[in-house]
Amino acid sequence: MRIVFLLAVLVGGVFYSYIAFTDLPFLSRTGRLGPGFFPRIIGGLIVVLSILSIASEIRRRSVDEHDNDHARVVVLVMVLAGGYVASLSILGGILATFVFLLVSLSLLNPGRWVQNVIVSLVLPAFIYLLFDVLLNAAMPRGILNLPI
Amino acid sequence: MDIFADLWMGLNIAVTPINLVYLLIGAMVGMVVGVIPGFGPSAGLAILLPVTFGMDPIGAVMMLAAIYYGAMYGGTITSILLNTPGESATVASTFDGFPLAKKGRAGPALVMQAVASFVGGTVGVILITLLAPAFAQVSRSFGPPEYFLLAMMGMLTLIVMIGENWKLGLLSALIGFALGTVGVDLETGQGRYTFGSAELIGGIYFIPIAIGLFGLGELYYAFYQGLHDKGSGSIIQYDKETRFWPEAQDWISTRMTMVRGSILGFFVGVIPGAGATIASLMAYSLERSVSKHPERFGKGEMAGLVAPETANNAASSGAMIPLLTLGIPGSASTAVLLAAFLLWGLRPGPLFMSQNPELAWGLIASMYLGNMALLAISIFAIPLFVKIIKIPYRVLAPAVIVVCTLGTFSVHGSIIETWLMFGAGIAGFFMRMYGFSPASLVLALVLGPLAEEALRQTMTISRGSFMIFVNRPASLWILGLTVFLIIIVPLMQRMGRRAGKAEKAGG
Repeated sequence: MRIVFLLAVLVGGVFYSYIAFTDLPFLSRTGRLGPGFFPRIIGGLIVVLSILSIASEIRRRSVDEHDNDHARVVVLVMVLAGGYVASLSILGGILATFVFLLVSLSLLNPGRWVQNVIVSLVLPAFIYLLFDVLLNAAMPRGILNLPI
Repeated sequence: MDIFADLWMGLNIAVTPINLVYLLIGAMVGMVVGVIPGFGPSAGLAILLPVTFGMDPIGAVMMLAAIYYGAMYGGTITSILLNTPGESATVASTFDGFPLAKKGRAGPALVMQAVASFVGGTVGVILITLLAPAFAQVSRSFGPPEYFLLAMMGMLTLIVMIGENWKLGLLSALIGFALGTVGVDLETGQGRYTFGSAELIGGIYFIPIAIGLFGLGELYYAFYQGLHDKGSGSIIQYDKETRFWPEAQDWISTRMTMVRGSILGFFVGVIPGAGATIASLMAYSLERSVSKHPERFGKGEMAGLVAPETANNAASSGAMIPLLTLGIPGSASTAVLLAAFLLWGLRPGPLFMSQNPELAWGLIASMYLGNMALLAISIFAIPLFVKIIKIPYRVLAPAVIVVCTLGTFSVHGSIIETWLMFGAGIAGFFMRMYGFSPASLVLALVLGPLAEEALRQTMTISRGSFMIFVNRPASLWILGLTVFLIIIVPLMQRMGRRAGKAEKAGG
């Protein structure tokens, strides 16, 4: 799978270099080094290095690549985190945090209802006190526009 | 001497009730972050940076610095009790720390590591006090060519330390440089890679990337390694009553170790890119080679724990020197610290200490106090940290996700940046999994704009000739030092690792 990641880096590097070589001039109008100078070097190096890495990856393939049974949990946690970010602008910071904690704890830490509910209630309360009251920091407001 | 006058002024600034509270909070948070596996100072700093926005600059900077050096104290507790280093800088502490705990000497090991950390940290601050003004003096003669070379030196040293996967490390750094070029080109005003988006004109924000890579990325990776399944059953119980305090022998046999570790650690820390990990490994192998009983190392020798502990704490102080006097961070965590300074409108560099004496000396003075506080915390709050270690990861993780997400949001109140953080988290996970280096990326993201500006100015001065790097004496020195480091650092590191491995094998 590393090869897929490297290919993605290569594609990104080619795209980056393409813009550097077509849109960004090497020298500025006054004859100094222009906005394209640095990106061209970087882009070129990214392309070269990712090709080299892909080559050595092909050579030593089939050695590793064993599936890890924890991969499914990682995907689950990523989906939960993504859902949390998405829910912030709908539910607002505090409510979204409560829902996220309750859902993710009951999936990751099943069967321990009391502990999960307590954490899901206490942490948002603590965050509210810290961010909103004490630090006056920005908190996502949902479209529901609850008082907190 | 004016150093004492400066320091006294700093103390007067640092010692206000509210600042002391911030300092204590920072020290505690740093230790907690150090205890959580996979989270080091860079993660702690990035996640908590937004929290400091409502504070005044001196308190904020003191607190962030305390998180930074406090993490070095906390990281060792898990090295000793669980054989799991909290971060790479405390790997060397497992070599003898864990065997000591297995021998039933966990209490003395924990106390000695706290004392060693205190000595290392304090010697480090003393050396900062004495040397920072001199460094600032020297760096005042530096021009763009020197700045460019110093930035490259830190980057390259970090990459050669990665070892086998250096190609991927270099690629990570280049990606960081590439991300750093997004936004308006300051010299010509032309937009680069903005694709007409207003969000991208100001460049890619550093904090979401750092929180994503170090916070969420590391968290996913910990799940991937199955940390949520592991119980805390393997934690070694320590005897609180009878055998908690070190014996006289422990103090006597390690007093020179502390001196060597502190001084070595500090000067390794000053070198951009080298940092605490390499310092601790070097100190370990140095101690083993000067010891009268090298065969005891790896089987629970106190000096084998004290050496890396003094060194990594002294190194994290040493790393403050290039940060304060040059404005060039040598590691991912000092890069986050620099980002914090910049957010506060402070520009570290040769003139920083003379232009902001209150802040600079307040910070340095606070580091003396912070180390004392950490010594007390890390001896008397051990039971608390043992409790934190016992919180299962599957309960801790959702809380960490909440703090990362809301922390990112609160910086600019932007949901787009929050999504950027989320994306960086996923990217960070794959980077970790496939041997890339998130730390190199973050350092490059900070150094990139600095290096580009310096390089373009250099080329303007030299009318396009690269000979300027050899013709200027200061540049030539830095160039020589860089070449020396690129050769010597991997060697030293291999020596340190080999010493550690030989110990683990029992030989």
